[in-house]
Amino acid sequence: MISIFEGLDASLDRILAVALRVIRQLKRDRRTVGLITFIPIFLMVLFGYALSGDMSGICLGLVDEGGQEGLRGHIEGVDDFEILHLGSASDAEQLIEEGRLNGAIVLGPGQVVVMLDGSSPQIATSLINLVRAGLEGPMPLDLRYIYGYDLEMMDSVGPAVLGLVVFFFTFIVSAVSFLRERTQGSLEKFVASPLSRPEMVLGYLLGFSVFTVIQSVTTLVVVVFVFGVPMYGSPITALAVVLLLGAAALVMGAFFSNFAKTEFQVVQFIPLVILPQVVLTGVWWPLQSIPESIRPVSSILPLTYSSEALRAVMLKGASLCEIMPDIFALSLFFAIGFLAATLALKREVG
Amino acid sequence: MSDDILIQNEASNDMTVAARDLVKRFGQLKVLDGLTICIPRGTTYCLLGPNGSGKTTFIRSIVGLIRLDGGEMEVLGRPISRVREIISRIGYMTQHKALYPDLTLQENMEFYASLYGIKGARRRARIDELLEMVDLEDHRRRLAGDLSGGMYQRLSLACTLIHDPDLLLLDEPTVGVDPRLRRTFWEYFESLTDGGATILITTHLMDEAEKCRIVGYMKAGRLEAEGSPVAIKRLAGLRPSIRLWVDDSKATADLLASSGFEVIESGDALDVFLDSFNDARTVLDLARPRDLKLVEPTLEEAFLRLSDIGRGG
Repeated sequence: MISIFEGLDASLDRILAVALRVIRQLKRDRRTVGLITFIPIFLMVLFGYALSGDMSGICLGLVDEGGQEGLRGHIEGVDDFEILHLGSASDAEQLIEEGRLNGAIVLGPGQVVVMLDGSSPQIATSLINLVRAGLEGPMPLDLRYIYGYDLEMMDSVGPAVLGLVVFFFTFIVSAVSFLRERTQGSLEKFVASPLSRPEMVLGYLLGFSVFTVIQSVTTLVVVVFVFGVPMYGSPITALAVVLLLGAAALVMGAFFSNFAKTEFQVVQFIPLVILPQVVLTGVWWPLQSIPESIRPVSSILPLTYSSEALRAVMLKGASLCEIMPDIFALSLFFAIGFLAATLALKREVG
Repeated sequence: MSDDILIQNEASNDMTVAARDLVKRFGQLKVLDGLTICIPRGTTYCLLGPNGSGKTTFIRSIVGLIRLDGGEMEVLGRPISRVREIISRIGYMTQHKALYPDLTLQENMEFYASLYGIKGARRRARIDELLEMVDLEDHRRRLAGDLSGGMYQRLSLACTLIHDPDLLLLDEPTVGVDPRLRRTFWEYFESLTDGGATILITTHLMDEAEKCRIVGYMKAGRLEAEGSPVAIKRLAGLRPSIRLWVDDSKATADLLASSGFEVIESGDALDVFLDSFNDARTVLDLARPRDLKLVEPTLEEAFLRLSDIGRGG
């Protein structure tokens, strides 16, 4: 039993040695640290307000209390929405809260109520436009945001960008770092040392997590305090999601580094690994706006889950339990990436 | 053991590495082709051979970096399948330097020390000792990336020695190191082998190979010849000679030839080949030269001769 503890102790020492080394190296690389810290602000200013998209596959609740036949016909005639007929406004509200509807329209004599999922401003905007286009005369719209907040685009994009930034930089820096280990011969030296491959990857994970925390906190502060994005949930929960995503990005970077011989080739992973996540994971626009034929791709990209979880925590105040499916998915990405990275390192042995 | 006797390839308990019939293929290419080799404990063993002869592949297989396709090997008393159990007793210096240019010399050494569980005062003492040995103690706060090629090489060696290994595998360790420091290295290596450590080294520098107790000559994945540097030269058909300057070359040459010596006239001198330097006295008594010069063939000549034999030269 003592030898097991001694073994664990020695193993922990080696993991810490790698972590300390990674921290020392990154600390000295001021340009990378600067980039990690300031690029989120740059990215959000650049893209934050600029995006919108055509949508399809949006689930819309329709409560018809009579008196608006023309508008009803118009709504039912639009192909972009899946209409669910409901009996009452309270049913609609509940389904929106449960995330099963993207919005609902209550048609009544002399009044139209539009219930909106506040966390998806693009969908909300398209619903409002839909109703306005179908109105036969001037009539005030009663807009109700279910989460009690009229979100701007930035509010919705901010939490997802947080994940995107962490994923992007951790992936690239990790891939380059592991590539360097290979090209400068240290990986070969590790194999001839007591350091095991899982210890090496875990050491990297620990070292990188220090910078991921700094990066996440910086981005979070900017998102919340500069751009005024709400933080209804716990910042610690949001940070946990980001750290888990960072861990998945790190092991994926370690794995993909096996397919690069130079740092230039690592850069070529950006269109392959990063760009699909930018486009297909609901960072900038809702998943519903993506053609259904390529939507399954979204489900195998980690940013899909981090975007969903971060929005739920920050905009809806979701607890850790409520985002457990996303946490599980991210953990699965990490586990598969860890296994793949470790096995790929093992593959080095000829 | 006499220098003139080829060392027998027999595995025993005194062997740090005992390998038999090792085979390694990369696709169609057989890099190790039935290599049998034994490296005795406390020895400096030099592997020579042309590029691609399998030297580095053999070294990498010792630490488990290469999965062998055939053969048996024991390293420090363990079968190669269990080499991880004794990996901390092996020091491996690769041809790549395996250093972190963005860490200082001290930080590089601290990192490698930590991997081997060397901590606290022991670590400090070991780093001080090794930095002094490689003559880098004044540079310990410099970034490794700022060092010259030779300094980088010296730091790499220091990192390899940090855990005082029982088996030291050095793949061309002194490339770019100046002659003065190379001598320091070799003195240090001798002190290590005196203490019971075993050193397996590859080099293209023949004067370094001459310093090793055993030289193994590899060709096409096999050990073609093995022995002390002197024995290797004899195996290559090279013998020591005496160049003599005498008054009557013809008469002296006939006299020596009739006594069984091989003599070649070389300009105004005679080259007399000896089986060993013990014959020199007899030659001098017979020839009574005006002047003389003892000539020992170099290992480089032996190496070239052995390579030529392989090419049918």
